[in-house]
This record gives sequence, C-alpha cells and structure tokens, in this order.
Amino acid sequence: MKTNRIRKTMIAVVLGLALAAGTNAYADGDDSTHDHGNHASYNAVENHAYTQECSACHYLYLPGLLPARSWEALIKGSDKHFGENLALDEKTSAEILGFLKSNSAEKTNTEWSKKIMKSLGSSTPERIMDVPWIIKEHREVKNAFKRPSVGSASNCGACHTRGHEGDFDTVKVPK
Amino acid sequence: MKRGLSAMIATAALFVSANAYPALNQDMNGLIEKFQKEADVKSFSAEDGRKFFATKRIHSKGEERSCSTCHTADPRQKGKTVVGKVIEPMAQSINKERFTDPKKVEKWLKRNCAWVLERECTPKEKGDFILYMTTI
Ligand code: HEC
Ligand code: HEC
Ligand code: HEC
Repeated sequence: MKTNRIRKTMIAVVLGLALAAGTNAYADGDDSTHDHGNHASYNAVENHAYTQECSACHYLYLPGLLPARSWEALIKGSDKHFGENLALDEKTSAEILGFLKSNSAEKTNTEWSKKIMKSLGSSTPERIMDVPWIIKEHREVKNAFKRPSVGSASNCGACHTRGHEGDFDTVKVPK
Repeated sequence: MKRGLSAMIATAALFVSANAYPALNQDMNGLIEKFQKEADVKSFSAEDGRKFFATKRIHSKGEERSCSTCHTADPRQKGKTVVGKVIEPMAQSINKERFTDPKKVEKWLKRNCAWVLERECTPKEKGDFILYMTTI
C-alpha cells in the first residue's frame, strides 16, 4: 500500500514536472511538498476577488475541491449562501465564477480531485463535505468537528495545515 | 517655524472640529454624517451602540443571536465566525484597519444586520455602533 503510494507519487511528480516544464509550476522544486503524498502536481492558483470575497467567513476552499457545476450553483445562489446574502455585484461574481470554473475539480490534476469527480456521479453538491468520498474519508474524525478548536467540518484548515497547498495528507487534528 | 506649526495645529483643530467624528477618517465621516442626516439626530451615542452590540435577539430559527455572537462580548477581543474562522478585533483602538473603508463597513453592516436582526439596521443603530467601536 505504502510503496504503491510512493510509486504513484513518483509517477505524479514526473508527470507533474513534465507538464510543468511549459507552465513553470514548481520550477523551483520545493522538496518539502514532495514528502506527503500525491499532491506534487498541484499548481497553486489565486485570484484577488475570490480571496477578498470568499475568505472572511471561512477557509478559502481550493477551486479543485468541487466541479464547475457546483461552483456555478453556489455563485448563482450567493444571495442565499447558507443563510448569508453575499451581495456580490455582477462583475465580481462573474470574475469569481470564471476563476473557480477554470480551476475546478475537472481541471485539477491531483489524486484528490480525481477521487472527488469519480465519487460524485451526476450529483451537484454545494458542500465539499457532501461529496461521498470526502464523507468517507472523514468518518473517523466526525466527532472532532464540533470541538471548539475546530468549529465546524467546513473549517478545513484547523486540521489540514497544508491544505492551501493542495496537501490534504498532512493532518493534525487539534485537541 | 514654531509659529508655522501652531498655525498648522490651529487649522488642523478647526478642520477636525468640522469633522464631527475625529476618530474617523474623512471618508468615514462622510458615511456617518449621512447616517446622521437619515436618522435626523445631532449626534450618536456610544452607550446606545454598546447596548445594541450586546442585545440578544431570538432569531426565527429559534436561536439567540447578537453582534457579539461572532465578535464576542468584548470588541477588543478576537472573534470567531460560525464556521470557526478567527475574526480580528473590531475595536479600532486595537485594530487600526477597522472603520476606515465606508464600502467595507456598509457591506458588512448589510450582511450582519440581516443575519442578526433579519432586517436592515436603522441609521441610528449604525451610527451608534460605529461610534462605540471607534471610541472603546
Ligand atoms: C458572510 C459569510 C460568508 C461569506 C462571505 C462566504 N461564505 Fe461560504 N459559507 C458561509 C457559511 C455560514 C457556510 C456554511 C458552513 C457550515 O455550515 O458549517 C458556508 C459554506 C460554504 C461552502 C461549503 C463548505 C463545506 O462544508 O463544504 C462553500 C463551498 C462556500 N461556502 C463557498 C463560498 C464562496 C465561493 C464564497 C465567495 C463567493 C463564500 N463562500 C463566501 C458563509 C460565508
Ligand atoms: C477535524 C479535522 C478535519 C477537518 C475539519 C477536515 N478534515 Fe479532511 N481529513 C481529516 C482526517 C483525519 C483525514 C484522514 C487522513 C488520512 O486518513 O490520511 C482527512 C482526509 C481528507 C482528505 C483525503 C486525503 C487523502 O489524500 O486521502 C481530503 C481531500 C480532505 N480531508 C479534505 C478536507 C476538506 C476540503 C475539508 C474542509 C471542507 C476537511 N478535509 C476538513 C481531518 C479533517
Ligand atoms: C455570523 C458572524 C457575525 C455576526 C453575528 C456579526 N458579524 Fe460583523 N463581521 C463578521 C465578519 C466575518 C466580518 C469581516 C471580518 C474581517 O474583515 O476580518 C465582520 C465585519 C464587520 C464590520 C466591518 C468592520 C470593518 O471596518 O472592518 C462591521 C461594521 C460589522 N461586522 C458589524 C456588525 C454588526 C453591527 C453586527 C450585529 C448586528 C455584527 N457585525 C455581527 C461576522 C459577524
């Protein structure tokens, strides 16, 4: 299992490097990101409007955690966002949706994004925590979600300290 | 030199007294003056703002909600959103970035008043709240 993982990682790294040659992703070869798993090919993406509008209340979710159709539904319903009116103007919501769609799970070349896509079938979840594979992965930590140090299942960063780099294998569940 | 300086201070003092709320920058004075006109009051009350901030209301979902639900009872402390993310302190004495951008302030007032009160805040509530947050 472990060696299988390592082999997969190596393949991913090689593939990632080959792919990256053109786009400059990970050109400086940060070794520390190769230690933990199959995220080496994750190409960190950023958008000012997305960070500005979508990170005040919660963790800044990586666009690759949901398919484009989910992001579409979320932005379309942003006036009723889990009980909040996000009051996005048209230009901002178009920019954010454009960014999310061009970096969605379909467009992300990582182990986790592929597993997410595979487990979804034709459903359109509006929560990452409603993706069947994600639910399964968290079955054993469910009880930790309500700890004051975590707050909620949606607070990914409380446990996934390197999640923003696309590394969900590094986990530290706070007491 | 000295005289020039005192003249400058005098002008500045004049300018500040023309700005009703010296703790606030010019843009924010514009916003609070707008609230003042809408509320039809001469000045706002930090004490009313404190009460407004702390008052718990029963939401139609059945739970108690107030501004302090997320910003904690003491606005000089860090708060937490319902999703568990830390919110930097609201009191301007601790967090200089607060209450400097009218657009940001109006946006969050709109959101948070709806979340807590299920309506917009009145101009008086908004003005009292800003005064409280910028004087505590
Ligand atoms: C005013 C606060 C607020 C802002 C701003 C906000 N959200 Fe949320 N968001 C929430 C709340 C509340 C939840 C529900 C969390 C829960 O139930 O634990 C949520 C949940 C989510 C979830 C589901 C998380 C999960 O558990 O899988 C996604 C995805 C999401 N938001 C995306 C966005 C995007 C995209 C934006 C920017 C356009 C945004 N949010 C801005 C309050 C906010
Ligand atoms: C209470 C802590 C906690 C929270 C909060 C949490 N997770 Fe996890 N997550 C874990 C644990 C523990 C695992 C299992 C790790 C393992 O078995 O290797 C895991 C596994 C995962 C995996 C699979 C990793 C892999 O490669 O096998 C992904 C992807 C993931 N989490 C994403 C998320 C996202 C996205 C969020 C927020 C919406 C989130 N998690 C919230 C603790 C947490
Ligand atoms: C559900 C959680 C929540 C509640 C309840 C809440 N707020 Fe906030 N508030 C936030 C968040 C999140 C921010 C943005 C924090 C940031 O910018 O770091 C914020 C920011 C603000 C700001 C912007 C200040 C600035 O200049 O940066 C104002 C004004 C504000 N809140 C007013 C209120 C008022 C008035 C109430 C009560 C009617 C209230 N809030 C209740 C979550 C909340």
